[in-house]
Amino acid sequence: MDERLPLSNRMALRFHLAICKNCTRFNQQLQQMRRLFREEAAADDDAAGLAPEARQRIETALQKKLGS
Amino acid sequence: MNTLDARTWLADHGDYLFRVARRQLHSDELAEDAVQETLLAALSAQARYAGDASPRTWLTGILKHKIVDLIRRNVREVEIPRDEDGEEAVDLLFKRDGHWAEPLRPWGNPHAEAEMSQLRRVLDQCADRLKPVMAQVFSLREVAGMETEEICKELNITPTNCWVLLHRARLFMRQCLEMNGFSKAGAV
Repeated sequence: MDERLPLSNRMALRFHLAICKNCTRFNQQLQQMRRLFREEAAADDDAAGLAPEARQRIETALQKKLGS
Repeated sequence: MNTLDARTWLADHGDYLFRVARRQLHSDELAEDAVQETLLAALSAQARYAGDASPRTWLTGILKHKIVDLIRRNVREVEIPRDEDGEEAVDLLFKRDGHWAEPLRPWGNPHAEAEMSQLRRVLDQCADRLKPVMAQVFSLREVAGMETEEICKELNITPTNCWVLLHRARLFMRQCLEMNGFSKAGAV
């Protein structure tokens, strides 16, 4: 999920997951949650851009600085 | 050799920079600030532009620093919240001996578009209910895919606190999603 565990911990985790149905399910759900969030972010991302007001505000700030 | 033309920055790279910033900051408003600060900083730093990177790459480099600044400014307090809304729900998940209090039901695999858009709404609503610092850690790890070590360093929190925050955020989110229909979504 986050980082590679040392071998002994990894074996212990695998063993535990093999006997603990809830933990396996929990693990799957966390992965599923991550996937959904990333999919949503990607879908959202394609459409996103600066709002016209924000663009105008930034433009004004830039002009002010350029002129000074 | 690339050259800079400050007049076209906003038109050429504004949306791109905004998307990069929004992905990390999880807020339109903060992302707009990041773009503005980046372009203003870039104006002052124009003389130092060597021309070996494309203008977009150069601007993105400046943006990264601005994003980290903004995150730091917004995550001043890093105490781990206690006994507040949502925490109780998380505690109910486990028995005193650390075992699961109740069996976990599997989540379905939603496919239908209507179902997906409903789930997206739930995702957003649940994320909005996280404490700001938790939301920040959660989104940098789960959405942006940054390494945990890097997140702790950038947010200036100890690794222990950082892990606790991430773990609690995940438990809370999982619980919130489940209570809002995930256990039934596309159930098989």
